[in-house]
Amino acid sequence: MRAAESEHPAGAGPGSAGPPPGSAGPPPGSAGPPPGSAGPFGRAARWWLAPAPAERLAALRIAVGAYALVYVVARFGELIATARLPAAQLQPVGVVRVLRVFGVGAPLPAMAAVAIAALTVALLAAFTAGYRFRVTGPAAALGLLWVTSYRNSWGMVFHTENLMVLHALALACAPAADAWSMDRARRGAAGAPAPPAAGYGWPIKLLAALTAATYVLAGVAKLRIAGLAWIDGELLRNQIAADNLRKALLGDWIAPLAIPFLDHPSAFTIFCALTMVIELSAVAALAGGRVARLWALGAWSFHLGVVLLMNIWFPYPLLGFAFFPLLEAERPFSWLIGWAARRGTARDSRVG
Amino acid sequence: MPDRSRVAALIVSVGLIGAALSPLLRRPYDDGFPLSTYPMFAAPRPRQLTLRYPLGATADGRRRYLSPELVGSGEVLQAYAIVDRAIAQRGAAIQALCEAIARRVADSPAHRDVAAIRLVTGTHDAVELLARDRVGAEIEHGRCDVPRSGR
Repeated sequence: MRAAESEHPAGAGPGSAGPPPGSAGPPPGSAGPPPGSAGPFGRAARWWLAPAPAERLAALRIAVGAYALVYVVARFGELIATARLPAAQLQPVGVVRVLRVFGVGAPLPAMAAVAIAALTVALLAAFTAGYRFRVTGPAAALGLLWVTSYRNSWGMVFHTENLMVLHALALACAPAADAWSMDRARRGAAGAPAPPAAGYGWPIKLLAALTAATYVLAGVAKLRIAGLAWIDGELLRNQIAADNLRKALLGDWIAPLAIPFLDHPSAFTIFCALTMVIELSAVAALAGGRVARLWALGAWSFHLGVVLLMNIWFPYPLLGFAFFPLLEAERPFSWLIGWAARRGTARDSRVG
Repeated sequence: MPDRSRVAALIVSVGLIGAALSPLLRRPYDDGFPLSTYPMFAAPRPRQLTLRYPLGATADGRRRYLSPELVGSGEVLQAYAIVDRAIAQRGAAIQALCEAIARRVADSPAHRDVAAIRLVTGTHDAVELLARDRVGAEIEHGRCDVPRSGR
C-alpha cells in the first residue's frame, strides 16, 4: 500500500475537498465534478459533491471506527453492569424505544444485551479494517447506535457519544473502504475499484456538517432555554460552582481552575461570549481551509476549558476525532504508512 | 439525468443532516440520543445545593471530605446513592454505613488524622463554600468513631 500523496493527491483543504492548488483537474480516484444545473441548487450540489481523495475518507473510517471500537471495549464492564440494572430504571431513549413499540416493556435479557455489545465489537473491528464493508459498515454503525442508546436508557443521557454515533452512521452510508482497507487488499491485482460518480468528497463534508450541527444545536439550546441572559455568565458560574461543590462534597476531584475563577464573575461573561461565538459559528467550518482549522482550534479549546473548569471530559472532541473531517485526515496515516515502508526497506537492505 | 450515486449521496446527506438538526423542532428540555437538544449547560442551576454526604472529623474539629471508595463504590454517583439510601432508611442503616466507612478510613494511611465519621445533610452556597470556605448549614444524621488500634 503506497502513501496517499503518491497515489491520490490531497485536495485543496479540509472541507473543500477540491483538487490540489495548481492541478488541472480533480484528483485521480474521483469521478470529477458533477454536471449539474445552474442556479443555487446546482452550485450547492456541485460544491457538496466536489472530489476528494479516497484515502481521506478511508482515514476517517479508520479513525472513527478505531475510536468507537476502543470506546465499546473500554466500557464493556459498564455495559454488563447496565444490562443487570432493575427493569424499573429503564427509560428508553432513541432506538431503544422500539422495545415499547413491539410491546416489550422490560429491558432485554442481560445475556442478549451483552451479546449485542460483543457482536458490535466484532463488527467495529471489521468496520475499522474495511472488511466486507458494504455489510459490516452499516451493521457496525447500527450496533453502535443500539449499544450506546441502551447505555443511555437508564435515567441519564450522556452527551459524549452522540457525534461518534452520527459519524459512524454517515461513514456506513459511504464508500469508505475503497482505500486502505481489507476489501481493497482483497481486490489486489484487480486494482482500485472504479470511483463512484458521487466521489469521496461528500461523506467528508457530511461528517463535517454533523460536527457543526451538534455545536450549533448546543448554542441554540442556550438561547432557547436562557436567552441572551446566558451570556452574562451568572448561569454558567452557578453551574460550575454547583457541579464542583457536588464533586468536592463527595470526595471527587474538582476542576483545577474552578475555584480561582469563581470569585471573578466577569471572567464568566468572557467564557460565555466565546462559547456562544464558537457554537453558533460552527457552520463556517464547512468553508474549509484556515477557517475550519481556526474554528476546530477554538472548539477544542472550549472543551479544554470545560475540563479545567468542570472536570467534565468529552474525549471524542478532546482527542480531535470530532474535528478530523475538517482537516486533511489522510496525512498522519500517509506518514505512518511511509514510515513503515521506509523501515521495511531498510530492514530488507540490511538482510540483503 | 443525474447519476444514481449522486442522487443517493444527496439523499443520504440531506437525511442525516435533517435528522441531526431535528431536535430544533422539539422542546429544548426534550433530550434524546443520539439526536440531542444539548440542554446540559443551558439550564439554570441554583447556587444553593442540598446534598447528603459523609464527612471525616479530625480530633481538632477540622473537616475532611471522603472519597467514593471509602463510602463503598469507585463511582461518585453510586457512592452518593449509597449515602442517600442509608440516610433515607434511618437508624440501623445509618449506623451500619457509618461504621463501614470508619473501618475503611482506619485502613487508609491518608486519613490517619480522621477521628470520627459523620453522615450529614448539608445546604451550602456553592460559590461561598468553594471560593471563600464559608460552610452552610449541616444536619447530622449519625456519627461514629474511627477504630484505632493501640488506643
